[in-house]
Amino acid sequence: MKKRITALCLVSAMAVTMLAGCGGDTAKQGSSEAEGTGEEIVINYPTFQCGVNTAAPVVDQLISEFNEQYAGKYRIEKEEVPGDQNYIDKIKVQLGTGDLPPVVYGGGYNLLDLALAKDVVVDLTDAVNSDPEWKELYTDAAMTTNSRDGKIYASSSEGNLVGYFYNKELFAKAGLSGPATTWDEFWDQCDKLKAAGITPLALDTADSAWVTSLWMGALVAAEGDDAVAFLKQMTPDDYNNPAMIKAAGEVQKMLQEYTTKDAIGGKYEHAANNFLSEQAAMIANGPWMMSDFSDETKAAPGFADKVGVAIYPGSFVYDAPIQGYFVTKQDDPALEEAAIEMVKFFTSEHAQQVALEVQGMVPASSKVEITEKAKEAYPLLAEFLDLAATAKVRTDNLQATMYPNLLDVVSQELPRLASGEITPEQYCQILTENAQKN
Amino acid sequence: MKTKKVWIPIFLAPAVILFLLIYAVPLVMVFVTSLCEYRLSSDHMQFIGLQNYITLFHDANFRQALANTVIWILIHCTVHVGLGVFIALILYKKPRGWKFVRTAYMVPSIISNAAMATIFVNIFNPQFGVVNSILTKLGLENLTHNWLMETSTAFPSVTMIWTLFAGYTTTLVLAEALTVNESVIEAARVDGASNFQIDVLIMLPLLRKIIGTTMVMAATYMLQMFDLIYITTNGGPGRATTNLPLLLYGTFMSENNYGYANTIGVMIIVLGTIAMVIINKTLKVGQEDY
Repeated sequence: MKKRITALCLVSAMAVTMLAGCGGDTAKQGSSEAEGTGEEIVINYPTFQCGVNTAAPVVDQLISEFNEQYAGKYRIEKEEVPGDQNYIDKIKVQLGTGDLPPVVYGGGYNLLDLALAKDVVVDLTDAVNSDPEWKELYTDAAMTTNSRDGKIYASSSEGNLVGYFYNKELFAKAGLSGPATTWDEFWDQCDKLKAAGITPLALDTADSAWVTSLWMGALVAAEGDDAVAFLKQMTPDDYNNPAMIKAAGEVQKMLQEYTTKDAIGGKYEHAANNFLSEQAAMIANGPWMMSDFSDETKAAPGFADKVGVAIYPGSFVYDAPIQGYFVTKQDDPALEEAAIEMVKFFTSEHAQQVALEVQGMVPASSKVEITEKAKEAYPLLAEFLDLAATAKVRTDNLQATMYPNLLDVVSQELPRLASGEITPEQYCQILTENAQKN
Repeated sequence: MKTKKVWIPIFLAPAVILFLLIYAVPLVMVFVTSLCEYRLSSDHMQFIGLQNYITLFHDANFRQALANTVIWILIHCTVHVGLGVFIALILYKKPRGWKFVRTAYMVPSIISNAAMATIFVNIFNPQFGVVNSILTKLGLENLTHNWLMETSTAFPSVTMIWTLFAGYTTTLVLAEALTVNESVIEAARVDGASNFQIDVLIMLPLLRKIIGTTMVMAATYMLQMFDLIYITTNGGPGRATTNLPLLLYGTFMSENNYGYANTIGVMIIVLGTIAMVIINKTLKVGQEDY
């Protein structure tokens, strides 16, 4: 009998121990709703803008200010999700399970459209229209980026103004005085740099080939109005057009003749490192890279003074607000209201000003003043904004408009394009076939 | 005796319940959803019968991934296991320093796959990697490649990363070899058998079951292989190094096509089952030696 009781106790203990891990963290998941019925509403906010992310100090400051301003009413609790891809994966899984956080940062990942397809996004039209200050911050481009079928679903804080950087010292060594204004001049400069023993371009192909895709988009934009219209088209499913094919051919030339050996298969970090270590003379990237130039853990002291900034040949610059924050439908209307307040706060003129001064981020709204403090902290940014203002052709970047599954395809096929295994026509056909899978 | 029988299912119950909840239910879900049009972008699942399976066999990416997976299983079950057994057959004779070799050969197997992948990304780096540097120093610059990013070299380069390090196989086979009765080997020696004959005609048959087990482990390792490929080539260039788990991941995470991804999942289960049956039948793993 004693043995039986002992055995029964052991089995029970084993079952309880094994099943202990199966329960969800119900207390934590329900905190927003439970507290929503009380005085203070807690907004759980997962973000990849944490840790070493350049926007982390901005987000921390805004959360702190918001919690102070709305003390006793609303409170943001940050949930750190390091890494963009981890964040995207998390949101997609939560979208699948219908358990999205109240506020999602759409970024350049097309998360808004995925959420809209599930009908879980709160329509912000009335909230924006009833607040003239908020509405004034929407430029036409921002309105287009964040609206669908005439309804406003998101709000941007960040502009996406992208040109390229060049090393003035390496340019001088090759006898070049400044950036090219036409593509013919650009290729001529590449030849001169190469002849002087300098690698002209820092490129990449892995992790969606961000840097290389920027050059490709700029090359497409040079092919006239139809090409620019193509770049503005959201999620195109046909890449077999003359502008894309020509640009793919020119990128093939870049990868074969004008870049470092490790560009093929290299990630953004490889390209950035090649530029920062003066192994390559030019890199296409946005103003957020500027803080790296004076970071002595990444570049040699004095490197920042050697860097110049330019818009692309043909007077082109990438200029489109990055898709912003959106609010998801919640069971508790009070939590939705809190989330709307948070989005309004995070995209306010003040928030954009903070991001400009702390991070060197380009504001989404043209209303935000480029202060002396920002100019002093980021002189290259002020120079770039002046240059960008002169650009005659503007559009969104190629990656922002493509279906997300094409990002992997680009990474897989660019090495084959570089080796000549596939032609530019085949490259565009492969993009088309994969786009049509969506 | 009867009382003891009552306790057996009671003790098994917690494990069985956990298995049902964590594996069996999701497994059934995988089979069911593989018969459905099921995407992140749509509100509901729609039953479409075998359409996903028909599409799968017309999908060039799937055929390539299937071929790569099968080739990797074959290489791992033969070359990798063969190498591990070969080293075990040297070490069981306890030559000088055998303990050191046994431990040293195990080291690569205890390094995490992510770290291993990063090491080899640098070894194969076309600009400053060890492989190209050695070739250049030897005056063989024409043999340098972008090893992981050229279609002709990517597959063998990735294969190299895991094939040569058979520490687990060596350890398991060696442990079994060391339990073989010394008198059997002595008897063979008295009968004039050479070392080679003892290894091939006596030891290998005696080690048949553990070799079969290591082959099963090798096959399942290849069926699960993901992180090493993801970090080194992400399945590229093109689809040159894509295997079934990587294709499943891309279909799930990038294309958000859950139904089709689960169809690939079912094919992985089917392939795994076929591999297990073939290995068990060929090596008669479940049968007695004599």
